[in-house]
Amino acid sequence: MDADERAWVEGLRRGDSAAFDATFAAYRKRVYGYLVRMVRRRDVAEDLLQETFLRLAQHANRLAADTRLGAWLFTVAHRLVVSWSRAQAVRAQLAGDIPQRTPDPRSPLEALADSQAQLALERAFAELAPTYREVALLVGVEGLAPAEVAEILGHTPEAVRQRLARARTQLAAALGEHAPATWRTS
Amino acid sequence: MTTSDENQLHEISRELPAIDLDTTTAERIARRARHDLGKGPPRRRLILPIIAALVALGYALWGILKLIELLG
Repeated sequence: MDADERAWVEGLRRGDSAAFDATFAAYRKRVYGYLVRMVRRRDVAEDLLQETFLRLAQHANRLAADTRLGAWLFTVAHRLVVSWSRAQAVRAQLAGDIPQRTPDPRSPLEALADSQAQLALERAFAELAPTYREVALLVGVEGLAPAEVAEILGHTPEAVRQRLARARTQLAAALGEHAPATWRTS
Repeated sequence: MTTSDENQLHEISRELPAIDLDTTTAERIARRARHDLGKGPPRRRLILPIIAALVALGYALWGILKLIELLG
Protein backbone atom coordinates (compact mmCIF):
# COMPACT_ATOMS: atom_id res chain seq x y z
CA MET A 1 0.00 0.00 0.00
CA ASP A 2 1.63 3.26 -1.11
CA ALA A 3 1.56 6.62 0.67
CA ASP A 4 -1.04 8.08 -1.72
CA GLU A 5 -3.42 5.26 -1.10
CA ARG A 6 -2.95 5.49 2.67
CA ALA A 7 -3.76 9.20 2.45
CA TRP A 8 -6.87 8.50 0.35
CA VAL A 9 -8.11 5.94 2.89
CA GLU A 10 -7.56 8.44 5.70
CA GLY A 11 -9.39 11.10 3.70
CA LEU A 12 -12.28 8.77 2.89
CA ARG A 13 -12.63 7.88 6.56
CA ARG A 14 -12.98 11.61 7.31
CA GLY A 15 -15.49 12.10 4.46
CA ASP A 16 -13.07 14.18 2.39
CA SER A 17 -14.46 14.53 -1.13
CA ALA A 18 -10.99 15.26 -2.59
CA ALA A 19 -9.87 11.83 -1.39
CA PHE A 20 -12.95 10.31 -3.00
CA ASP A 21 -12.23 12.09 -6.28
CA ALA A 22 -8.61 10.90 -6.24
CA THR A 23 -9.73 7.31 -5.61
CA PHE A 24 -12.33 7.53 -8.34
CA ALA A 25 -9.78 8.93 -10.81
CA ALA A 26 -7.28 6.22 -9.94
CA TYR A 27 -9.62 3.25 -10.08
CA ARG A 28 -12.60 4.07 -12.28
CA LYS A 29 -10.97 2.95 -15.53
CA ARG A 30 -9.63 -0.27 -14.03
CA VAL A 31 -12.89 -1.24 -12.36
CA TYR A 32 -14.92 -0.27 -15.42
CA GLY A 33 -12.62 -2.32 -17.66
CA TYR A 34 -13.10 -5.33 -15.42
CA LEU A 35 -16.88 -4.85 -15.29
CA VAL A 36 -17.38 -4.29 -19.00
CA ARG A 37 -15.32 -7.35 -19.88
CA MET A 38 -17.26 -9.45 -17.37
CA VAL A 39 -20.82 -8.39 -18.21
CA ARG A 40 -20.09 -7.46 -21.84
CA ARG A 41 -22.59 -4.60 -21.81
CA ARG A 42 -21.53 -1.00 -21.35
CA ASP A 43 -24.85 0.15 -19.84
CA VAL A 44 -24.77 -2.60 -17.20
CA ALA A 45 -21.08 -1.98 -16.52
CA GLU A 46 -21.82 1.72 -15.93
CA ASP A 47 -24.60 0.86 -13.47
CA LEU A 48 -22.36 -1.59 -11.62
CA LEU A 49 -19.50 0.92 -11.57
CA GLN A 50 -21.83 3.49 -10.01
CA GLU A 51 -22.99 0.97 -7.41
CA THR A 52 -19.36 0.04 -6.62
CA PHE A 53 -18.39 3.65 -5.91
CA LEU A 54 -21.68 4.35 -4.11
CA ARG A 55 -20.82 1.54 -1.73
CA LEU A 56 -17.33 2.96 -1.26
CA ALA A 57 -18.85 6.35 -0.43
CA GLN A 58 -21.41 4.84 1.93
CA HIS A 59 -18.83 2.69 3.73
CA ALA A 60 -16.07 5.30 3.67
CA ASN A 61 -16.21 6.18 7.36
CA ARG A 62 -16.05 2.50 8.31
CA LEU A 63 -12.99 1.61 6.23
CA ALA A 64 -10.08 0.15 8.17
CA ALA A 65 -6.95 2.31 8.10
CA ASP A 66 -5.04 -0.43 6.25
CA THR A 67 -7.72 -1.00 3.57
CA ARG A 68 -6.27 -1.79 0.16
CA LEU A 69 -8.65 0.17 -2.03
CA GLY A 70 -8.01 -1.86 -5.18
CA ALA A 71 -8.86 -5.13 -3.50
CA TRP A 72 -11.85 -3.54 -1.75
CA LEU A 73 -13.28 -2.13 -4.98
CA PHE A 74 -12.69 -5.29 -7.01
CA THR A 75 -14.32 -7.38 -4.26
CA VAL A 76 -17.46 -5.22 -4.46
CA ALA A 77 -17.38 -5.23 -8.26
CA HIS A 78 -16.99 -9.03 -8.31
CA ARG A 79 -19.99 -9.48 -5.96
CA LEU A 80 -22.09 -7.16 -8.10
CA VAL A 81 -21.18 -9.15 -11.22
CA VAL A 82 -22.16 -12.38 -9.45
CA SER A 83 -25.52 -10.90 -8.36
CA TRP A 84 -26.19 -9.52 -11.82
CA SER A 85 -25.34 -12.87 -13.45
CA ARG A 86 -27.66 -14.72 -11.06
CA ALA A 87 -30.48 -12.27 -11.76
CA GLN A 88 -29.90 -12.74 -15.49
CA ALA A 89 -30.05 -16.52 -15.10
CA VAL A 90 -33.31 -16.32 -13.09
CA ARG A 91 -34.82 -13.94 -15.64
CA ALA A 92 -33.86 -16.29 -18.47
CA GLN A 93 -35.39 -19.22 -16.60
CA LEU A 94 -38.63 -17.34 -15.87
CA ALA A 95 -38.88 -16.28 -19.48
CA GLY A 96 -38.87 -19.99 -20.40
CA ASP A 97 -39.06 -20.46 -24.10
CA ILE A 98 -39.88 -16.84 -24.90
CA PRO A 99 -37.28 -15.86 -27.48
CA GLN A 100 -34.58 -13.73 -25.91
CA ARG A 101 -32.91 -10.78 -27.52
CA THR A 102 -29.84 -12.30 -29.12
CA PRO A 103 -26.69 -10.42 -28.20
CA ASP A 104 -24.83 -8.63 -30.93
CA PRO A 105 -22.07 -11.01 -32.00
CA ARG A 106 -19.73 -8.03 -32.32
CA SER A 107 -19.52 -6.58 -28.82
CA PRO A 108 -18.84 -2.88 -28.14
CA LEU A 109 -15.44 -4.00 -26.90
CA GLU A 110 -14.58 -5.55 -30.22
CA ALA A 111 -15.45 -2.28 -31.91
CA LEU A 112 -12.53 -0.72 -29.98
CA ALA A 113 -10.00 -3.12 -31.43
CA ASP A 114 -7.91 -1.48 -34.09
CA SER A 115 -6.14 -4.56 -35.37
CA GLN A 116 -6.96 -8.16 -36.15
CA ALA A 117 -4.74 -9.25 -33.28
CA GLN A 118 -6.61 -7.03 -30.79
CA LEU A 119 -9.93 -8.27 -32.12
CA ALA A 120 -8.81 -11.89 -31.75
CA LEU A 121 -7.60 -11.16 -28.23
CA GLU A 122 -10.83 -9.45 -27.17
CA ARG A 123 -12.83 -12.37 -28.58
CA ALA A 124 -10.56 -14.92 -26.89
CA PHE A 125 -11.15 -13.24 -23.51
CA ALA A 126 -14.90 -13.07 -24.20
CA GLU A 127 -15.01 -16.78 -24.98
CA LEU A 128 -13.45 -17.74 -21.66
CA ALA A 129 -15.88 -19.07 -19.06
CA PRO A 130 -16.62 -16.25 -16.58
CA THR A 131 -14.76 -18.04 -13.76
CA TYR A 132 -11.59 -18.16 -15.89
CA ARG A 133 -12.13 -14.74 -17.45
CA GLU A 134 -12.29 -12.94 -14.10
CA VAL A 135 -9.06 -14.54 -12.93
CA ALA A 136 -7.34 -13.73 -16.23
CA LEU A 137 -8.55 -10.12 -16.03
CA LEU A 138 -7.63 -9.56 -12.40
CA VAL A 139 -4.18 -11.12 -12.70
CA GLY A 140 -3.32 -10.38 -16.33
CA VAL A 141 -4.85 -6.96 -16.85
CA GLU A 142 -4.98 -5.58 -13.31
CA GLY A 143 -1.69 -7.06 -12.21
CA LEU A 144 -3.05 -8.38 -8.92
CA ALA A 145 -1.26 -11.27 -7.23
CA PRO A 146 -3.04 -14.65 -7.17
CA ALA A 147 -3.23 -14.46 -3.35
CA GLU A 148 -4.98 -11.09 -3.59
CA VAL A 149 -7.34 -12.40 -6.29
CA ALA A 150 -8.10 -15.41 -4.06
CA GLU A 151 -9.15 -12.99 -1.33
CA ILE A 152 -11.33 -10.99 -3.71
CA LEU A 153 -13.08 -14.04 -5.14
CA GLY A 154 -13.25 -15.98 -1.89
CA HIS A 155 -11.23 -18.94 -3.22
CA THR A 156 -7.95 -20.52 -2.23
CA PRO A 157 -4.78 -19.24 -3.94
CA GLU A 158 -4.30 -22.74 -5.35
CA ALA A 159 -7.74 -22.65 -7.00
CA VAL A 160 -6.86 -19.26 -8.50
CA ARG A 161 -3.56 -20.63 -9.87
CA GLN A 162 -5.38 -23.57 -11.44
CA ARG A 163 -7.91 -21.28 -13.07
CA LEU A 164 -5.11 -19.06 -14.27
CA ALA A 165 -3.38 -21.99 -15.95
CA ARG A 166 -6.63 -23.11 -17.60
CA ALA A 167 -7.42 -19.57 -18.70
CA ARG A 168 -4.00 -19.27 -20.32
CA THR A 169 -4.39 -22.62 -22.09
CA GLN A 170 -7.85 -21.69 -23.39
CA LEU A 171 -6.65 -18.26 -24.49
CA ALA A 172 -3.77 -19.82 -26.39
CA ALA A 173 -6.15 -22.25 -28.10
CA ALA A 174 -8.62 -19.48 -28.97
CA LEU A 175 -5.90 -17.16 -30.25
CA GLY A 176 -4.35 -19.73 -32.53
CA GLU A 177 -2.02 -17.94 -34.90
CA HIS A 178 -2.47 -14.67 -32.96
CA ALA A 179 -0.99 -16.21 -29.78
CA PRO A 180 2.48 -14.90 -28.90
CA ALA A 181 5.27 -17.17 -30.15
CA THR A 182 6.30 -17.99 -26.57
CA TRP A 183 2.81 -19.32 -25.85
CA ARG A 184 2.89 -21.74 -28.74
CA THR A 185 6.13 -23.32 -27.61
CA SER A 186 5.10 -23.67 -23.94
CA MET B 1 4.30 -23.01 -13.95
CA THR B 2 2.23 -20.33 -12.23
CA THR B 3 4.72 -17.48 -12.58
CA SER B 4 4.90 -18.26 -16.24
CA ASP B 5 1.08 -18.16 -16.52
CA GLU B 6 1.02 -14.79 -14.75
CA ASN B 7 3.79 -13.35 -16.88
CA GLN B 8 2.27 -14.60 -20.09
CA LEU B 9 -1.13 -13.19 -19.16
CA HIS B 10 0.46 -9.82 -18.30
CA GLU B 11 2.28 -9.89 -21.61
CA ILE B 12 -0.80 -10.52 -23.71
CA SER B 13 -3.13 -8.31 -21.69
CA ARG B 14 -1.02 -5.29 -22.61
CA GLU B 15 -2.35 -5.76 -26.14
CA LEU B 16 -6.00 -5.40 -25.10
CA PRO B 17 -7.59 -2.14 -26.26
CA ALA B 18 -8.06 0.48 -23.53
CA ILE B 19 -11.61 0.91 -22.26
CA ASP B 20 -12.90 3.97 -20.46
CA LEU B 21 -16.11 5.79 -19.75
CA ASP B 22 -16.96 8.99 -21.51
CA THR B 23 -16.26 12.05 -19.37
CA THR B 24 -19.93 13.00 -18.88
CA THR B 25 -20.87 9.54 -17.57
CA ALA B 26 -17.79 9.42 -15.34
CA GLU B 27 -18.64 12.82 -13.86
CA ARG B 28 -22.26 11.81 -13.31
CA ILE B 29 -21.22 8.63 -11.48
CA ALA B 30 -18.63 10.47 -9.38
CA ARG B 31 -21.13 13.21 -8.46
CA ARG B 32 -23.81 10.68 -7.49
CA ALA B 33 -21.40 8.64 -5.35
CA ARG B 34 -19.75 11.72 -3.79
CA HIS B 35 -23.20 12.84 -2.67
CA ASP B 36 -23.41 9.73 -0.45
CA LEU B 37 -19.91 10.10 1.00
CA GLY B 38 -19.91 9.24 4.69
CA LYS B 39 -23.70 8.89 4.86
CA GLY B 40 -23.70 5.17 5.57
CA PRO B 41 -25.85 2.57 3.82
CA PRO B 42 -29.24 3.83 2.65
CA ARG B 43 -32.12 3.39 5.11
CA ARG B 44 -34.12 1.35 2.62
CA ARG B 45 -31.62 -1.46 3.14
CA LEU B 46 -32.85 -1.65 6.74
CA ILE B 47 -36.47 -0.73 6.10
CA LEU B 48 -37.17 -3.37 3.45
CA PRO B 49 -36.19 -6.36 5.63
CA ILE B 50 -38.25 -4.88 8.50
CA ILE B 51 -41.31 -4.53 6.23
CA ALA B 52 -40.80 -8.08 4.92
CA ALA B 53 -40.54 -9.40 8.50
CA LEU B 54 -43.72 -7.53 9.54
CA VAL B 55 -45.66 -8.90 6.55
CA ALA B 56 -44.46 -12.44 7.29
CA LEU B 57 -45.36 -12.04 10.97
CA GLY B 58 -48.81 -10.69 10.09
CA TYR B 59 -49.41 -13.58 7.73
CA ALA B 60 -48.32 -16.09 10.38
CA LEU B 61 -50.63 -14.48 12.98
CA TRP B 62 -53.51 -14.55 10.52
CA GLY B 63 -52.83 -18.26 9.91
CA ILE B 64 -52.77 -19.02 13.63
CA LEU B 65 -56.03 -17.11 14.21
CA LYS B 66 -57.68 -18.97 11.32
CA LEU B 67 -56.53 -22.27 12.78
CA ILE B 68 -57.89 -21.36 16.21
CA GLU B 69 -61.16 -20.31 14.56
CA LEU B 70 -61.44 -23.66 12.74
CA LEU B 71 -60.62 -25.68 15.84
CA GLY B 72 -62.86 -23.63 18.08
